[in-house]
Amino acid sequence: MRRRGRVPWLSYLLVGLGAVVTVVPFLDMLLTSFKGPGEYGRLPYRFLPEAFDLSNYREAFVRLDLPLLFRNSVVATAVITGSVLLTSSLAGYALAKLRFPGRDVIFRLVLATMMFPPFVFFIPHFLILVHWPLAGGNGLLGEGGAGLTVSLAALVMPFLVSGFGIFLMRQFIVSVPDEMLEAARIDGAGEFTVWWRIVVPQTRPVAVTLALLTFVGAWNEYIWALLVSTANPRLMTLPVGIQTLQSYLDPNRMVPVMMAGLMLSVLPVLLLFLLLQKHYIRGVMLSGLK
Amino acid sequence: MATTVTSADGDGGEAERPGRAEGRGRAAGGRSVRTAGDRARPAARRTRYRCRQTAVAYLFLAPSLAFFAVFLLLPLLFAVLLSLSRWAGFDLADIRPAGVDNFAALFARGSSFLTPVLTNTLLYALGTVALALTGAVLVAHCITHLRFQGFWRTLYFLPIVTTVVAVGNVWKYMYEPGGLVNGVLNALGLRSVAFLQDPATALPSVVVVQAWASLGSAILILTAGLKAIPHVYYEAAELDGAGPFTVFTRITLPLLRPSLLFVCVTQFITGLQSFALIIVMTGEGGPGDATNVAALEMYQRAFTYGDWGSASAAALVLFVLILVITLAQLWLFRRKGADG
Repeated sequence: MRRRGRVPWLSYLLVGLGAVVTVVPFLDMLLTSFKGPGEYGRLPYRFLPEAFDLSNYREAFVRLDLPLLFRNSVVATAVITGSVLLTSSLAGYALAKLRFPGRDVIFRLVLATMMFPPFVFFIPHFLILVHWPLAGGNGLLGEGGAGLTVSLAALVMPFLVSGFGIFLMRQFIVSVPDEMLEAARIDGAGEFTVWWRIVVPQTRPVAVTLALLTFVGAWNEYIWALLVSTANPRLMTLPVGIQTLQSYLDPNRMVPVMMAGLMLSVLPVLLLFLLLQKHYIRGVMLSGLK
Repeated sequence: MATTVTSADGDGGEAERPGRAEGRGRAAGGRSVRTAGDRARPAARRTRYRCRQTAVAYLFLAPSLAFFAVFLLLPLLFAVLLSLSRWAGFDLADIRPAGVDNFAALFARGSSFLTPVLTNTLLYALGTVALALTGAVLVAHCITHLRFQGFWRTLYFLPIVTTVVAVGNVWKYMYEPGGLVNGVLNALGLRSVAFLQDPATALPSVVVVQAWASLGSAILILTAGLKAIPHVYYEAAELDGAGPFTVFTRITLPLLRPSLLFVCVTQFITGLQSFALIIVMTGEGGPGDATNVAALEMYQRAFTYGDWGSASAAALVLFVLILVITLAQLWLFRRKGADG
């Protein structure tokens, strides 16, 4: 305790230095996005832009179909977050508070789903969506057409349920007092009403955490969105769309435009995180590592 | 009294459940008051209630179970089937059995899968863990002495909530000759380095970024671990006249071992399967195969060359590797728990 009294200069120096290394790339992204034509790539390197030029943002709007990218990102993120919340809450309630044969087996299965790394599923998920029966011109056996890759469904399908979400909800719902549920049932409430009127309001804190984790994950998702939009460019999300900029022309002109696009894609999540960081950080603690 | 409670319970079919009824002082006596007819009816209701609850539970679980069947079980079977077949198209009827040919080809002489791809994968994961862990231990240790701990932790967290496309591109252009890193080198009088274009420096350059991006969560978990160390140990050490370095190596590090182990293993597993950052920073895993890793190799075999069979085989090899490490981790932690 006494050591608190001394000013820990070395600690400040080290943590400060690390913080600079963490923040500088973000600053560089911001400042580069304001650099005028021909300014990026000039030697010697200059951190600050000569004048705060907004033309890169305009250029990003011209080069990219930003309304489409935003729409895809927003719709996909909203659908995924909504679905994960709903299914996790329903399944979590069943696993925590209802008694039925097979419950332990199903709970173990949910735990097991968290062990599978996502890359194992890229190929089969893609092929399943391409061969989805009776969609996108496919026949009953999934032959002939493009399947679900024609629609926004392809962007969200593999993420609609989360084993971790179910687990998180279940752990939280277990602590909701049985007496509350009992009282509602005695008043004649069915299980669905009990879930909606008692469990859902009680689990709001953990729902915020789960929503935030899912939101950030879905908004930033790259590999799957890249895959799906290779099959159908109309499905590009913000990260995928901005990445396509790098194939354009002169890198010295393109880099600042790209940084402008990236700022647009990163800002919403950063703001949300700064507002609700406590909930997010708790989620990361609960999930171990994200 | 007892009868009213029973009938109230009976209406909801809740006779055997604990809770409110107990609170009203319904005791063993309640049952003896009932007539024979009463005794038979709750039993039937109980069964009906059980059945209804089972049905409701499965209804609640139905969306999730259906999802796991279609997007977990089926894909796993499909992946195994594909790894044992030859198929280079989109027509399901063209799938031909191939036995273990795909696996044999991966490990055949002259195949690039073992070296450099798997070697790169291991180096990438090990390098990330080593860098991130060292950095996180130092920072987490120092943060506990500072004010505004939440502020510092938030700062270190920024990369985690940022898309890999932003992280990868910003660093990619910072590594360029006209970028920030070389700008700093030049200002120090050093010559520019072609970080991502030189096969010797490409992989370490990406490793640094991956470590940079994962520092935040490691710091978070280690800070929690540090806070759990009882303060009396430090006071005792101070009374004995131990210097800060001795305290750190003799008390902090040993007592932090569970958190260190956890961060180490989970980050290692994450490192083994990551390839998004590599795609963004070096495209095809270049120059040459210098930054190619197993998951990227799988991705390219499948989606660039349409070779589903060998891609699935590559995925399964990596999957088994990760599964073994995960199981070892579970075993390790269970033993830790027994140790206390």
